[in-house]
Amino acid sequence: MIRNPLEIQDAVKKIRMLIAGYPGIGKSTLALSAPKPLHIDVDFGIDRIEPRYRKPYIQPASYQEILDDLTPENVKDFDTLVFDTGGKLISLMSLWAIQKDPKYGQRDGSLSLKGYGFVGKEFVRLMDYCFYTLQKNIVIVFHAVEEKDGDNTRLRIKVEGQTKNNVWEPMDLGGFVEIYGNDRTIGFSNCERYFAKGTRGIFGVRKIPALGPTSPNDFLTKLFEEYNATAAAEVEKNAKEQKAYEDAMAAGRAVIGTITDADTANAAMPEYKKIKHTKTSKRELDVEWNAKIKACGLTFDKSAKKYVAPAAPEDKEAK
Amino acid sequence: MSYLMTHSLLASWLYIMKDNPYEDATSTRDSYQEFLQTLRREPIPPTEAKAKGIEFEDLCYEIATGNFRPVWEPALNKKGIPKIDPNSGEPMGMTKYPRFYDAASQVADIIRGGQIQYKAKKLVEVNGMEFVLYGRLDTLKAGTIYDIKFSGSYDKGKYVDSTQHPTYMELIPEADQFTYVVSNGQNVWTETYRRDETASIFPVISDFVDWLYAVGLMETYKEHWKSL
Repeated sequence: MIRNPLEIQDAVKKIRMLIAGYPGIGKSTLALSAPKPLHIDVDFGIDRIEPRYRKPYIQPASYQEILDDLTPENVKDFDTLVFDTGGKLISLMSLWAIQKDPKYGQRDGSLSLKGYGFVGKEFVRLMDYCFYTLQKNIVIVFHAVEEKDGDNTRLRIKVEGQTKNNVWEPMDLGGFVEIYGNDRTIGFSNCERYFAKGTRGIFGVRKIPALGPTSPNDFLTKLFEEYNATAAAEVEKNAKEQKAYEDAMAAGRAVIGTITDADTANAAMPEYKKIKHTKTSKRELDVEWNAKIKACGLTFDKSAKKYVAPAAPEDKEAK
Repeated sequence: MSYLMTHSLLASWLYIMKDNPYEDATSTRDSYQEFLQTLRREPIPPTEAKAKGIEFEDLCYEIATGNFRPVWEPALNKKGIPKIDPNSGEPMGMTKYPRFYDAASQVADIIRGGQIQYKAKKLVEVNGMEFVLYGRLDTLKAGTIYDIKFSGSYDKGKYVDSTQHPTYMELIPEADQFTYVVSNGQNVWTETYRRDETASIFPVISDFVDWLYAVGLMETYKEHWKSL
């Protein structure tokens, strides 16, 4: 079914989110604040979560077990799948890949270059399956590690090899959890300390409210609601801007298409100037205009303020 | 008089600043020599990695603009004579695609329809000096500036400190984001910086100017980077 982009937001969008931070900072508890979560406790770390914040969970011993468990029937009562942690998930995925095909492994049991490629693709496939087929929110938790870069210390997600780049690709949001003073925060904007990912108005650093004896663990539930509320307005705004941009480009290209000589170029000028530009349409069209003028061999006479054709050889001789 | 200022020059300078503390700027380390070559606008022969990057970029552009034509290689018999299909009578052979073709196609899908190798310049004033900020954008399309990177050792966030997106965002005020499209020849990743995540390039230019004066290289810069 072909749909109008202005009508995209007719339902609550499912969200894919990555949470990273130091061990023990409360990432799992934060992840379980998402709506109706199923805790896929790959790390076997549920005992580190306060009992009142624990949610239904599975503790898969192999990646195949995860694949077997994540059927539409099994997860029908959940809105969110929390993978805790992503690093361990990828370790299980790596073992599974090597069992599947020995060429994905090396003698020491680590992944080969081909294996990294395969696991990266499998990760994206799993995320796509959870998102598109199962239609669930996804929250994936990663430990963070420090990396030195000159005088700077940066936080990176703890995953082996190039997989660390692939895990970011499908995510809508990615935030680093840190502690500032007594506050826990999650940052969604790129900064000197880490690479993060924010969209749909979820940017900057957010304070995570402290959990008291009676307070609900619902930070991500509220964040997802905010995301969806903003998303509707932002998608509409972006779609309008995109349409205005495409209209400007189409109008400009139509005018440029009429130019064949100096007369048509001069006739096209007022029409070209009338175009209402959005984003970078003016710069892009100006390149196409100049290319067409050049292709027609025209030059601009600044005093006459119009395009002129190069003088014919006989004219030159007459002069 | 105004002087050219490019992201490459700033990047070359920042590279030695990382390796080479301020007080040690006169050392003869390679990065410093390379910076001096850049400052004097002497050609630097491309490294193997750079050459690979250029090959990859060119392939992306060819595919994106519809100018790519795969090579058809005829099948030869033992005597070196092209084989003929006995059923159709046509010569037998196979279409050969260059290395990195799949990854380059993914990049081409991203940049297709944009203005490739868009040149931009802008007159700016920093520390009382006039500069012509100049950049050649890999692609400009619908409010996004794209830069293609070929990197064998890419980690997400690699370009957070780059002077490229701050420089280009200054050059194109209408752009709302800058996306690095990174490939190792197999995979393709994107790293996007919105305008609100992009620091101003002016403090970097200002520090560079101060440094040039401090180490006595300002005249060299002025001699080689005059804007015509």
